[in-house]
Amino acid sequence: MSRNLSAVVAHVALILVVVIVIGILGSVASATSAGAEKFTGELEENVTLRVLENDTAIKQGYLAELIEAFNEEYKDRNITVQDANMDQYIDLENDGPYGYGPDILYQANDRIMRYPEGRHILPLPAEEFDCFEEVSEKGWQAYRRTVGGQEYTFGIPVNVQGPLLYYRKDLLPENWESEWDDDQNGVPDMVEYWTDLYRFSKQIKESGGGKFGYMRSFLEPYFSVGYLYSYGGYTFGNNNTDPSDIGHSAGNAEYGARIIRQLATVMDERCIDDSVTTGAYAAIASGEFFATITTPDVYTMFVDEMKAAGYSDEFIAENLVTTYIPKLPASGDLEDESQGFIECNMMGGIQGYAISSYTKYPNAALAFVKFATSYQMIKRRNELLGIVPARKDVADEVGGLSEVINNNLESGNITVMPSIKENAQIWTPLQTLFQDLAKDAFRTGAEVKYATLEAMKEALKKVDTQIYDSIFTLQ
Amino acid sequence: MKDTDKKANPFVVFGGALRKGVAKVKNFFRSLPARLKEKFAGAKEILTQGNGKVAASMCVMGLGQLLYRQWAKGILYLLVQIAFFAYFILKGAGDFIGFFTLGITESNAWYGIEGDNSVIMLLMGILSIIALVFYFVIYVANIKDAYRIQCAVDTMKKPESFKKELASLLGKNFHKTALALPIVGVCVFSVLPIVFMIVIAFTNYGGAVVPPALVDWVGLDNFGKILSLGQFAPTFFKIFAWNILWAVLSTFLNYFAGLGLALLLNRKCVRGKTFWRLFPILAYAVPGFITLIAFKFMFSYGGPINQMITGAGGTAVGFLDIDAKWTARLIGLAVNAWLNIPSGMLLATGILSNVNTDLYEAARVDGASPWKQFVRITLPYVLFATMPVLISQFIANFNNFGIFYFLRGGLYMDGYFLASDTDLLINWLYNMSIDNNYYSIGAAISIIIFVVTSIISLTVYVLSPSYKQEETYQ
Repeated sequence: MSRNLSAVVAHVALILVVVIVIGILGSVASATSAGAEKFTGELEENVTLRVLENDTAIKQGYLAELIEAFNEEYKDRNITVQDANMDQYIDLENDGPYGYGPDILYQANDRIMRYPEGRHILPLPAEEFDCFEEVSEKGWQAYRRTVGGQEYTFGIPVNVQGPLLYYRKDLLPENWESEWDDDQNGVPDMVEYWTDLYRFSKQIKESGGGKFGYMRSFLEPYFSVGYLYSYGGYTFGNNNTDPSDIGHSAGNAEYGARIIRQLATVMDERCIDDSVTTGAYAAIASGEFFATITTPDVYTMFVDEMKAAGYSDEFIAENLVTTYIPKLPASGDLEDESQGFIECNMMGGIQGYAISSYTKYPNAALAFVKFATSYQMIKRRNELLGIVPARKDVADEVGGLSEVINNNLESGNITVMPSIKENAQIWTPLQTLFQDLAKDAFRTGAEVKYATLEAMKEALKKVDTQIYDSIFTLQ
Repeated sequence: MKDTDKKANPFVVFGGALRKGVAKVKNFFRSLPARLKEKFAGAKEILTQGNGKVAASMCVMGLGQLLYRQWAKGILYLLVQIAFFAYFILKGAGDFIGFFTLGITESNAWYGIEGDNSVIMLLMGILSIIALVFYFVIYVANIKDAYRIQCAVDTMKKPESFKKELASLLGKNFHKTALALPIVGVCVFSVLPIVFMIVIAFTNYGGAVVPPALVDWVGLDNFGKILSLGQFAPTFFKIFAWNILWAVLSTFLNYFAGLGLALLLNRKCVRGKTFWRLFPILAYAVPGFITLIAFKFMFSYGGPINQMITGAGGTAVGFLDIDAKWTARLIGLAVNAWLNIPSGMLLATGILSNVNTDLYEAARVDGASPWKQFVRITLPYVLFATMPVLISQFIANFNNFGIFYFLRGGLYMDGYFLASDTDLLINWLYNMSIDNNYYSIGAAISIIIFVVTSIISLTVYVLSPSYKQEETYQ
């Protein structure tokens, strides 16, 4: 028995020895890798880069133009760029290390800035870019992050995203110049001040006929949280970088909650859920809605619907108007203009380019990003896609809303979406709150939950606690 | 109480069956030592009676067989050992150790440090353990084979040739041949992901700890959190209670509505049965999530139902909005019924076509009413045949993710932690693991779901006629 047992023990011991030796060797081997500086300034030649752009740029042909221009510029070095042909919501954390991700990606700041902590994107030499002086500090801030004790810039801002008011000029009352332009500045008050848009919407709703003045679902926090920001609320403290400080209830944010509740009363129940969101284009085209709020990049959707409704291009160009968001009453009450007005601070985003840490050709990728963010290409991007350029020189030249939005970004009237990963945990609690506030406008009797500002403040505090808990409770 | 009354009382029946079940479990554990002793008697015999050639096979696989001049078998066993050692030296050992360490070097893509990916290491570690188990099984088979040859030689018999043993794999040992590949497949595609999910529950994977950060083992901490955290435990029990109610109600509704529809369309007086059966099948054929999105729109404020209500002068109803707890739950039940009744109907139609019509004839002669016939003949028969399906439907409903995700997702309610009042445990698990990145807590909840559904399913199955009276209908 002892002989046979010894044989078994010898066999098991052999396996154990293999395990231990391999374990020691493995740990020694993995600790000896070395790093290298990625941007050496020497362009890699005869290479192909994959760029992940947004769908609109691909559909409208901008990416094809950009690729053609870059490939022509760098044909001597045989550097070519091609469409990465990947889903916009690529998971660089999981795909990048295995070589499946793009070399260059174009995304909004909240998506790009999920990557720095895991070092999935490269820190960029922002000061080398010719747009460095042209992009506002707010634009750069969206792409800065401290990693390993040092602050880096991880993206190059291209496009400022912020909501705009879309309205039908031909649906203004005939006497608007005498009745709805108190300051006689030639701009209808209902697109300049929320109090007037509220009053105008109330008139339209009460006159019956199933038409509405302003209509927009409150379900999307991106479009609703700005009312809280306007009165002192914020998402994260320390310029949206400190997740332990959540401030949707800060300052007089409850005024913003009251604005939402008041606006809901001049709409119908569709503002509670999202059933009106996709139908808004057709509703503006049919004249069911006078105005709504959405982002600049969907302008063509309104145009298409109006064309389908039989309007000519000239009519659309003249009567489908986009303008900046109206001013809010300082009193926080849409029925009280006595304290004057404040700017409406809305949530926005900055879209830009970043370079994957897993690219084999970092210098060529950097050259492409420099090319794509040059004055000419950004101007062309604006012409073709109607984006609001983050470069001030282009924004100033094209003027109009681009200039206004850039100024608003600089003056702090557009709050850039937080770039920290905890931002992913704010949406559902806020969505629930906004749905509840909008619903409250249609509750009656004892069902009403937010009859007072105190009740609204409590609800906002509860949301802050909920977000805090979702971020920290289980960590 | 009379004896007949006792028998009729379902609680007494349940209690009796439960007692029997408990007794069976007790017997199982009581007889375990004896059965283990019996099982290992063979091993003891090999260790005590095995000769030097058997010991050679213990040291080097196939060596004993080679010494007995069983060349082909000996070489095959030897090759298995060489292949295993090659795998283990090149990869397996590292993976095996990695399973315990979960990595020691963080990767850093900026400096080209590949580092360790704890999640991949966990997965590969499990794979190496499965490989070790396979190796152990073959190793034991090799020793048994060497001892079998020794016994044959000792009793002056000729050991079975390799050719003959190979032929037996297509004859008396065909079950081994047939099951070999499926077992490997099950291990890789089924056991591996399940074990992976289970072990995740014992780590801190999630939140801030996602690769390239290194994951650590945390023992039972995640289960402790579920039961002890102030916000967590009340939410768990609230959702759990609703989940049980949902699973029972939806299974009951779908099953009996399907059976009722099948009985209705089975009646001789119904004309155009094929035509009528087509409608539920059409509902069944449409992909579930499309149906759910369509229902969500139908019940939304801008949907056709509210348009009709407001068109008729009424006020729009928030069927699925924030205040619609029970309305949304009832709509969920109804929509789930819409999706699942067709399959229940098809199942029952097939089973009903096999019922012996003589039984009904006899019942009618005895004066049994149609209800009595249903309760005494149809229902027991259908229940007997479909009990395993019914249990699987219960589990599917218990884990029905899509219904409330599509109908009423995106809400966190007061009194619930990261969940709404219509969410089931599976939705809560999704909220935590996908929306909030708490993978390990999600895995811990899924283990709890697994334990609960297993206990309920096994109890129901053991108490069911399908288990107790298996021979009745054979």
